[in-house]
Amino acid sequence: MKKILLILTLFLSISETNAQAKKPTIMVVPSDVWCNQRGYMLEFYNQGSIVKVPDYKTALQENSNLLIAISKINELMATRGFPLKNLESALKSLESESAEDAMLSSKTSGASVVESPIDKLKKTAKADIIIQITWNVNTMGPKHSVTFNLQGLDAYTDKQIAGASGTGSELIGSNLPVMLETAVLSHMDNFNTQLMSHFDDMFANGREITLRLKKWDSFKGDFETEYGGDELGNQIDNWVKNNTVKGRYSATDTTENMMLFEQVRIPLYDGSGKAIDAKGWAKGLQKYLKDTYKIDSKLMTKGLGQASIVVGEK
Amino acid sequence: MKNLKHTLTLFFLVLISTFGIAQQRKANKDTEAWRYEIEAVQTGTQGTYLIKVWSYSKKPEIAAEQSKKNAIHGIIFKGFPGKAGVPGQSPLTNNSNLEEEKADFFKSFFTDGGKYMKFVSLSNDGAVAAEDRMKIGKEYKIGVIVSVNVAELRKDLENSGVIKSLTSGF
Repeated sequence: MKKILLILTLFLSISETNAQAKKPTIMVVPSDVWCNQRGYMLEFYNQGSIVKVPDYKTALQENSNLLIAISKINELMATRGFPLKNLESALKSLESESAEDAMLSSKTSGASVVESPIDKLKKTAKADIIIQITWNVNTMGPKHSVTFNLQGLDAYTDKQIAGASGTGSELIGSNLPVMLETAVLSHMDNFNTQLMSHFDDMFANGREITLRLKKWDSFKGDFETEYGGDELGNQIDNWVKNNTVKGRYSATDTTENMMLFEQVRIPLYDGSGKAIDAKGWAKGLQKYLKDTYKIDSKLMTKGLGQASIVVGEK
Repeated sequence: MKNLKHTLTLFFLVLISTFGIAQQRKANKDTEAWRYEIEAVQTGTQGTYLIKVWSYSKKPEIAAEQSKKNAIHGIIFKGFPGKAGVPGQSPLTNNSNLEEEKADFFKSFFTDGGKYMKFVSLSNDGAVAAEDRMKIGKEYKIGVIVSVNVAELRKDLENSGVIKSLTSGF
């Protein structure tokens, strides 16, 4: 019996030490300004005003220099053990997935796949960290140089977590692909150094996420209604305080109908040593509301770092 | 008389080699004391840095040879500033105590002819341009252009557990 217990303890401790944090996905995209300068934009009329969004598909189909820059960054990141999500492949996967969903029906009853408007909205090429690239060619007589800018953006906190930029040497007779390749080579190591500092900070102080709370209009109370001797908003605030790393978070906006928590530092692992993300962590709050105050809620997440809870019902 | 000649020759040989070893030791101490300078030359080919390393020694040959060691030392611990058109690079480690923490590893890594040699090569066979050879007081300051295979160096240090990789923890 003792032996079995010993083996079990050993197994548990090994699996706990081997727990790996959830790895963020990274994707390289051209910046909006780069797309706009080259006319790779789609225009929409939205309630009377014109909205421009980048047209990545056309940009990738028509601009071979973009492909060179993305491919070089992907290649260098892969050599560092961090293969990236490829924008072009992600767009193609989305297209084929939509086509397949439209044609899909069950074998027994012929039922089709259910897709809500929010599901449709979420069907975009996305990653946890976006590397945004921009370049411009500067011409001074026969001399050319490239001004290059790389920005690593956290998709959930909107923070720039890494960056590298600069203008390369002025060259005569050099072509753009060569200048671009040189720019990528000279900036990637510095970019990765900053990315690593971001990961170090994450391991030391927890993953930074955003948490939003809203209420259904069918919910009889609101965040100012008293539950357990205090307002619901304060009870939630206390739960967040007790469940963040070193109690780090900012309650940015609070009204009777919504709450916004930013810079919420959540632990990378739960009590059992299992790696968690925003979803795993916010499920705790959902369970707390249900168990303590009998409030049902709907939990929606975006990637590793954004969670929304709508209280009142599922 | 013949014996005396032999003894004298032997004595001078020992003296010269001792002087050489002392010079080398001095150069190694200079490296440990960060007494070298690194500047960017141009963006190297993929996975490499092309840099100019300024080293000090009473013997120009020792300064030129020590440049290889200084280059690797600088890239691991110091980084180097950029110049117009060529960005500088951060060191491979951001742990300022790494050299002391992994003293045993670096002692064997940086021995003369040690593993560091695998990751560095002299450009132009180590030829030093006239303007890169300066006499300052009793010693020379020599600037040598070297190419450092930083991709392989980083991989080696990561595999040895000396520095963390970008994916460690995931």
